[in-house]
Amino acid sequence: MTDCSDCTILLLDDEPLILMDLEFAVEDKGCAALCSSTVQQAIDLLEQTETIHVAILDVTLQDGETCVPVARALEQRGIPFVLHSGDLDRQDETVRDLDAELIAKPSSADSVIRRALDFSERTRA
Amino acid sequence: MSDSEDRPSFANQMPVGSATFDDAPRRFRADHPEDKFSGASGVLFEQAMAQTRMAICLCDPHAEDTPIVFANRAFRALTGYDEEEIIGNNCRFLQGPDTDPKQVEKIRHALATEDVLVVELLNYRKDGSSFWNALHLGPVYDNDGNLMYFFGSQWDVSDVRAARAEEHHAKMMARELSHRMKNMFAVISGIVNITGRMRGIEKESAEINGRIQALGRAYETTLDEASSGSIEIGQAIRAILSPYGADEDRLIFLGNGARVPFQTVSVVGLVLHELAANATKFGAWSDDNGRVEVDWKRGEVDDSAALIIEWQEVGGPQVSEPENDEGTGTAIVNRMLRLAQGQIDREWAKDGLRVTISVPLGSMA
Repeated sequence: MTDCSDCTILLLDDEPLILMDLEFAVEDKGCAALCSSTVQQAIDLLEQTETIHVAILDVTLQDGETCVPVARALEQRGIPFVLHSGDLDRQDETVRDLDAELIAKPSSADSVIRRALDFSERTRA
Repeated sequence: MSDSEDRPSFANQMPVGSATFDDAPRRFRADHPEDKFSGASGVLFEQAMAQTRMAICLCDPHAEDTPIVFANRAFRALTGYDEEEIIGNNCRFLQGPDTDPKQVEKIRHALATEDVLVVELLNYRKDGSSFWNALHLGPVYDNDGNLMYFFGSQWDVSDVRAARAEEHHAKMMARELSHRMKNMFAVISGIVNITGRMRGIEKESAEINGRIQALGRAYETTLDEASSGSIEIGQAIRAILSPYGADEDRLIFLGNGARVPFQTVSVVGLVLHELAANATKFGAWSDDNGRVEVDWKRGEVDDSAALIIEWQEVGGPQVSEPENDEGTGTAIVNRMLRLAQGQIDREWAKDGLRVTISVPLGSMA
């Protein structure tokens, strides 16, 4: 099990209930959650925050947005991220392009966070 | 052909205004004495040209603006033009406002390079109505390898395109539905978790969520074939179990294709979820070595068709039958299978639990 207290996790999802569920699960692990529901919010958080350990991105967002701009910004900063999506079929190209770990919706919030933290640790190792 | 200027074209030999065009082989040959339409093969070729339902034309690349010099009956039927309106004109009179210039450019390029080309482009009939034309064109050479004509065949593929568009639309709808359904399951999970948290029953809510999510995964695989009423159960089984077998070697799928009625999916989803949850807690997946093999097939139980699933745990810790099982997942599975008129047999073998499940397939033989 990953030792993850003090980790900061960026969350991006346009569905408030899912976001809340993930936020609780992050707090359960003793970590800090930064919640965003649009690309702009996520980018703003990214720019305002010194250290983010890992990000969990919903792929398809409202108003035709996808998480790609956020993913690119994370890549630039060397921050690992996982994709959490119910839309993996349609986003096939995008997703393959990003070369990130995929977590299919629906998965339990707890396992999403756990996998994200494991992934982060593997990436850093 | 070097003396192309002198070669007679159909256009200037046609009686102007002829309403009924006789494209019988006899006449074609009379018009074209210099062409090698001789012998039985020539007659067959000409008859085929006249009778085929495929619209066909020949264009003369040596005359100014490559005019059509021959068009068969099907060509006139397709385009609605009379012969004198066709012969002598360049094919572009079939184009109209919404014809894609890119496709036209491809045609121009193929003509310039004497290439064979198949394109689909929007063409227009005499009455202004449009149709999708699958145009095949290519050069025709004489025995000496000189370019004689360009051959063009036209086929109205409007229906094909409409069907293709409809199929595409249906696929898009299925994907959108699938996305929304997964999202809905995720939101339901969120609600269950949050409610569990507020009431201090996180353990219970996690258990409920496990079941909901297994069902969600199972249903999701059925969407593509929603119209057929039956589903490929193998896909659902893989989807239900895949989150448990993080390691490929520890979850082995032995079954192959088996179509079952859609209604089967919820029972199979919940039963396999309970077995997987048990294997994680007490069975083959509770230590680092065990694995689970899952087989499924269509078979017969008591002379009626049934889906038979074999669940075999191997290499895990030694298991024995739990003493009091009422109220647990096991009891739920038993009850559910009883209500579905199915059966479940558990064998607590030394090397691991072995379970055989059968679910009747009803009238679907």
